[in-house]
Amino acid sequence: MTKVKICGLMEERHVEAAKEADAIGFVFAPSKRRVSIERAAELAKHAPVSAEKIGVFVNASIEEIEETVEKVPLTMVQLHGDEPDELVQEIKVPVIQAFSIRGKEDVARLENSVADFVLVDAPGTDYRGGSGHVFDWTLLEEAEIEASRLILAGGLNAENVKAAVHQTGPYMVDVSSGVETDGRKDEVKIQQFIQQAKGDSMQQTADKTGFFGKYGGQFVPETLMKAVKELEDAYMEAKGDPAFKEEYHHYLSEYVGREQPLTFAKRLTEAWGGPKVYLKREDLNHTGAHKINNAIGQALLAMRMGKRKIVAETGAGQHGVATATICALFDLECVIFMGEEDIKRQQLNVFRMKLLGAKVESVTKGSSTLKDAVNEALRYWVTNVEDTHYLIGSALGPHPFPTMVRDFQSVIGEETKRQIVQHEGRLPDTVLACVGGGSNAIGMFYPFLKDESVRLIGVEASGEGLDTEKHAATMTKGTEGVLHGAFMKLLQTDAGQVLEAHSISAGLDYPGIGPEHAYLADIGRVKYESITDQEALEAVVSFSRLEGIIPALESAHAIAQAEKTAKTMGKDEILVICVSGRGDKDMATYAERLEGLS
Amino acid sequence: MNRLKLLKEQDAKAFVAYIMAGDGGLEKLSEQVLYLQKAGVTAIEIGIPFSDPVADGPTIEAAGNRALKAGVTLEKVLKEMASWTFEVEVPLLIMTYLNPVISYGVERFAKECKKARVSGVIIPDLPYEHRQLAQAFLKKEDVALIQLVTLTTTEKRLEAILQEAEGFVYAVTVTGITGARDQISEDVRTFTRKVREKSPVPVYAGFGISKVQHVDMLREDVDGFIVGSAIVEAFRNQTIEEIEPLIQAVTAPHSV
Repeated sequence: MTKVKICGLMEERHVEAAKEADAIGFVFAPSKRRVSIERAAELAKHAPVSAEKIGVFVNASIEEIEETVEKVPLTMVQLHGDEPDELVQEIKVPVIQAFSIRGKEDVARLENSVADFVLVDAPGTDYRGGSGHVFDWTLLEEAEIEASRLILAGGLNAENVKAAVHQTGPYMVDVSSGVETDGRKDEVKIQQFIQQAKGDSMQQTADKTGFFGKYGGQFVPETLMKAVKELEDAYMEAKGDPAFKEEYHHYLSEYVGREQPLTFAKRLTEAWGGPKVYLKREDLNHTGAHKINNAIGQALLAMRMGKRKIVAETGAGQHGVATATICALFDLECVIFMGEEDIKRQQLNVFRMKLLGAKVESVTKGSSTLKDAVNEALRYWVTNVEDTHYLIGSALGPHPFPTMVRDFQSVIGEETKRQIVQHEGRLPDTVLACVGGGSNAIGMFYPFLKDESVRLIGVEASGEGLDTEKHAATMTKGTEGVLHGAFMKLLQTDAGQVLEAHSISAGLDYPGIGPEHAYLADIGRVKYESITDQEALEAVVSFSRLEGIIPALESAHAIAQAEKTAKTMGKDEILVICVSGRGDKDMATYAERLEGLS
Repeated sequence: MNRLKLLKEQDAKAFVAYIMAGDGGLEKLSEQVLYLQKAGVTAIEIGIPFSDPVADGPTIEAAGNRALKAGVTLEKVLKEMASWTFEVEVPLLIMTYLNPVISYGVERFAKECKKARVSGVIIPDLPYEHRQLAQAFLKKEDVALIQLVTLTTTEKRLEAILQEAEGFVYAVTVTGITGARDQISEDVRTFTRKVREKSPVPVYAGFGISKVQHVDMLREDVDGFIVGSAIVEAFRNQTIEEIEPLIQAVTAPHSV
């Protein structure tokens, strides 16, 4: 169970390649691999939250070390100089002290180290055979040092690390130049090294994929780990199977009615007086929103895994309806958890689900909204995990859900990208989508992520206003935390209790946001804005009258923001809005809130 | 926590009592701890309330909501515990979801746990894969990170998890959430026997233990029992004395 540290990282893509490592190292001492505090902080954003971030220093002052620990932030410190014991003890995070072993006196120094871990630097060592050992391992065998404190470094590479681990059974192995080509880190070598070091131990399967930068992960009770791992394997296998893809696209076209048009909004374009506005018409999907793209994909996967019972949560009821629809189509048993408050707001959808043969369970706990419905669905899954698939509706939850939901929703962005090129001969300048958990947005954005000229804007709900307590603006007001299996951004109290979110739109009423969105915000690839209940309602009216499309309340948030954004854009620019769903389900709210409309 | 090992060597069974901190007010906590240690429990697990306790059943969730309403936080519980001047005779454990710990700061959590004389912590939504998030900090303060194994834990995982085990192993004896149950499935015996064979530390069964008959059924295959919902309920209904026979049934010397 030896851990792996990749040291001397300087570039984002190498940090990403090292995401299956247990630790990454940044060098702050003079070296060709030296990075500044600011640069390390930037790089650390790309590493999983649970990875150790280790800073390497040589005879630095305690002030310098403390400042670096705090600013990056680092979880461990590694010392390579002649640091006195007092300094080692003064450091608040765990400390690794490095020693070059040449003789017995070095072993004595190592034995007396007060650090939590000792790193043995054995340059030039040949681990492969019994001959040619530059470093005499018997020295270490006699040393009174527990293997659980030992970190092995120097001369390691993908070819010899397995033998080195076998021979010494260290706590961790540390590599830097062994994963480089021509003095630069090499992604392939990094991955090969990790694989070799971990061997076929379970760590290899327990990798850290499923992290977007530091967000994501699998923070679920042990009872669910088997199911989550099985799902991960099944999804990876299905993803690579052309037959699965074909079946999924078959249902998308024959049942959902894809592909959906990218409609040029002529009157809206004129009214706003700015860029050419295009609408991605997810409202035209069977069941009225984008949710069904994901429901079909996951239901097919569940059946592939031999599971014929489905549990799901729903907020607005769109995901519940989509799930119930697919369960009817494929003859699957279906239980939907829905908050009592949402049931009141979305009675028509509740009846739809029942009509489709699903069992709708009312959740009266907590705020009785989406968050509590997810809790109950998770509990149901924990109890019935052997024969039930949890068909999560947004890009949330433990890995592989955020990745899988994104992939199933990416059809939105893929079509859009193809269509806009057909219409305009080029990519759009700006793309907007609303964000609750963030599934339609990630599906729309994902195919555009690498097209840096395309500005991406996610729109969350600020409810009654950002300065009130009644909003769902997780990105603007949230802080980091763990909910429903993932490390993400959350609305929470100082004590780490998750707050109730508020939005007029049940589909945006969630106190968290998908981990990939949190990451895209951190690295600045997507900008997140927020729209109030009132602004969304106004957009419903103007959009309905200008384009003859009554949008869902969720989509109206994206439309309202688009109007603001359009004002800053020129006539030769192109803006795309994801109209994630139609407004039928919200008609009762519209009738009530827009009473007296003339 | 060495006491737990000693107990196993003497072939005596452990009784771990779970209470929800601050259910009925934080001032009740010391009373409850004193009561339980006098009643002869082996260790006490103090639950921290959380807004979204997905691993818990209705009894503990309701207790947590009452505690949250009373304004109980992780910080307040640790402060309260650190202020106790009476003699704590049994190991104290903290059971908390991960989010309050992240919010409080993992390192600070480890340090304050030590000050509060906490011997071990249980974080149900921190699986083996992500243990680095807390383990190093806890280790530094000599606080054990208790590992959980369940009926759905695969062989490979089981071995890996047991290798990291410290203090004791929490064997979840139902596929589900916490809460009192009428029956314990036969598979549970096979499972606990397997875990116990491989575990370097004592194995305690929890989730669903509420009756003497559960104890009798599993007695030979575990080193102890964790009782939660039944105790939380009993404190709330002021019928805690009715739990004493269960404690007796576990801890009393037993001849087969």
